[in-house]
Amino acid sequence: MAAVASEVELVNISINGVALQVPKGELIVESVKRLGLEIPIFCYHPRMKPVGMCRMCLVEVGFPGPDGNIRKMPKPQAGCTLPASEGMAIFTDTEQIHRDRKGVLEFLLVNHPLDCPICDRGGECPLQNNTLFYGPSTSRFLELKRHLPKAFPLSKYVTLDLERCIQCGRCVRFTEEISGDSQLAFRFRGASMQPSTFELTDFESKFSGNVIEICPVGALTNREYRFRARPWDLETKPAICTVCSNGCNIWFDHRAGRMVRTNGRTNEAINEEWTCDRGKFGHEFYNDSNRVKHVMVRNGDALVESDWPTAYDAIRMAFAEGGNRVAALTGPSNSNEDLYLLKKLFQTRFNSNNFDSRWTTYLPTAEDDLQKKMGVSMVQNTIADFESMSKVFIFGSSLADELPILFLRVRKGWFNNGNKVVVASDKPTDADSFAAEVLRYRTGTESTLASGLLALAVEKGLAQVPDATRQSLSKYTAEHVSDETGVSVDALHRAVELVAGAGIITSHGIFNTSQPQDTVETLAGLAMTTNGSFNCYALGANDQGALDMGVVPFGGGMDTHSILQGCIDGTVKALWLVGCDPFELHPDYDLVEKALENVHFLVVMADHQNGAVPFASVLLPETAPAEQDGTFTNMERRVQRMPQVLAAKGSAKPAWRVFSELAIRIQPETPPFGPADCMKEIAESIPSYAVADYANLGGEGVLIR
Amino acid sequence: MSVNLFKDVAKPIMAGFGITRRRLQQRTSKYKDVTVQYPEQRREQYPRTRWKHALKRYDSGLEKCIGCSLCAGACPARCIYVEAAENTDGERYSAGERYAVRYEINMIRCIFCGYCQDACPTGAIVLEKDFELANYKRESFIYTKEMLLDPMPK
Repeated sequence: MAAVASEVELVNISINGVALQVPKGELIVESVKRLGLEIPIFCYHPRMKPVGMCRMCLVEVGFPGPDGNIRKMPKPQAGCTLPASEGMAIFTDTEQIHRDRKGVLEFLLVNHPLDCPICDRGGECPLQNNTLFYGPSTSRFLELKRHLPKAFPLSKYVTLDLERCIQCGRCVRFTEEISGDSQLAFRFRGASMQPSTFELTDFESKFSGNVIEICPVGALTNREYRFRARPWDLETKPAICTVCSNGCNIWFDHRAGRMVRTNGRTNEAINEEWTCDRGKFGHEFYNDSNRVKHVMVRNGDALVESDWPTAYDAIRMAFAEGGNRVAALTGPSNSNEDLYLLKKLFQTRFNSNNFDSRWTTYLPTAEDDLQKKMGVSMVQNTIADFESMSKVFIFGSSLADELPILFLRVRKGWFNNGNKVVVASDKPTDADSFAAEVLRYRTGTESTLASGLLALAVEKGLAQVPDATRQSLSKYTAEHVSDETGVSVDALHRAVELVAGAGIITSHGIFNTSQPQDTVETLAGLAMTTNGSFNCYALGANDQGALDMGVVPFGGGMDTHSILQGCIDGTVKALWLVGCDPFELHPDYDLVEKALENVHFLVVMADHQNGAVPFASVLLPETAPAEQDGTFTNMERRVQRMPQVLAAKGSAKPAWRVFSELAIRIQPETPPFGPADCMKEIAESIPSYAVADYANLGGEGVLIR
Repeated sequence: MSVNLFKDVAKPIMAGFGITRRRLQQRTSKYKDVTVQYPEQRREQYPRTRWKHALKRYDSGLEKCIGCSLCAGACPARCIYVEAAENTDGERYSAGERYAVRYEINMIRCIFCGYCQDACPTGAIVLEKDFELANYKRESFIYTKEMLLDPMPK
């Protein structure tokens, strides 16, 4: 704060007689926070532009007159639209202001129904709180209140209760300023003003859940949480969202052992305070009826309930051969501890390197590693970096779908700082709406487009490359690339100026395209030669963690495709599926089906019934992410800890415990006593994780580089 | 210290029994029977006695309870559990949008303070005079909505 303050001009103001210096132009509603005071607000939101709609933040303002006495303005001002200027004297606690606040609240309550007992917001409602602290204790309004539709389903996730709306415009501004889909707008004027979608269509946004949280009344409520609980019924614990690799911080609300809802938790480094719909509404599976709760062992055609020792014995027998005869595949939401102990179990007990965490069509080999080949990392930027990055190049990724919170950050950079964004993708994406240039290429020509851009950058002198590379790029003339990809020559010329030196964003989804390695290397080269940065982000919740933990067969093992092929051939006798449904994850359904049918012994470790369960020889119940203590590494390589929130279902155990229990049965050693012990071991054996320790993984987490 | 056997011991005892003798003589005239033959006889309870809760209905038969859980919030013993659900036109339990699909009171924990009654915005929960709550199993002390709800008015 001090560094920032020294650059901007400071002005002297006084608040309730206390003199202080604030940056010129700072909004008074923010300045009073420096004194620990608070002005009641409804429409103002620190992350959105002020509009001064609700008039709740009224303050008295004065300036010193020629005689040195403060001369107050005749009328109160809205603190949220009032920039600080030299000599300003603010009063937030005068008789006049108390009267004004009472008046504003009385007007708001003229039309606001008093159905607080059945309102989902009751108990955590800013209008309730402000009325209690600043409002009148009774109402003088005897007339009939306005009556409007109640519980109107705005979308699959959001319910709109128009009677409760106080027309603050937070939701409308959110869709315009933050999410950018501009789905909501105000219809009509005055007391009949109401937020709604245009032509009353569905509120189709990828971030609609946030308007529920920022609504200062119960007008926008959560359809899934509707009438599930009241705030005082809930237990709230901090957690990490495990739906995608952004690693958003959330509040996990649960009641009587059941997940009730999740809300955004502020982490300035990642999600600020937002959530995406996929994450906010993606935790329902905790309450599913198809959760796996008991150990099952195959007996003939049926899986029969059994216990852990029996299952361990069966697995020991089946995996005894070890080496290339056994294999494991992992899913996206296993914690670092799970993955590390899996790798350790396979390497030390089964003498095998056959494990893989990747499910893309193309699986980079150990030689493909960018670090080894070009000396650059696959992840160079943090999410927050993209706010201040003047040029951003999104390649081959629908960012709002794959990495929604990164999308919000990129959009924020464009909205607030005018950053130039170039989007290259084969399909329309949400980022097109604010992109400076959109390169719509034909599917399958990713590598050509990347090479074309690099060639053009070299031609324009924006990139310096060795002669050999220049030679190999010579065939990628703008015309040729344009013919191949369908992107016009002009667009290529315009785009290359913005792409040179840009922060490049792509995702592991690129490995599902043709010639992905070429594309990735060309983009990394483009970034390297033009002083930009390159990022190929992971997509699953802990996919990055799995790479870091080394759950990749680079030690001479088989990769996902060869393992499945091996199951069909009979070379792989025993397969362990750790928290993954290969039918969902693997691109080739038939291959998976054949592999699971033919493999001799299949261990399925899952938290809910999935497609692989019918093939299982042994079914092990695994705890879901919030039911165990563990760490997750997000796509920017930030390690965060998720403490246990819910109790394990049935006899489910965390995967790491299963691996360690099995390991000591095969060959005794001191097992880790908890996930913190596992993390100590990880920190010792993986150099980049040396900084990670359970003691410092709270807060914003630890960034690994 | 010397104890005078008559003055310090026998005399106060006799004085005490004297009161008993007087009361026995006055039993039929001035002092009525204090005990009653419970359970055949029952004493009338004070108007503000607070014992077992009842969930009230409107005259129309609709439940007064809207499942708002304010009683659970006010309860100092945390003995009330409310689970709400939404009324539909086909299945209507209470007047508004919301009704209690589960309403449980743990009578072992309840301290009969009556805060739930104070907190209730619709006057649905009332502590009434049924005090005979003894039972044999702990589980039987979980009073469900069916046990608490008043019968439908005829």
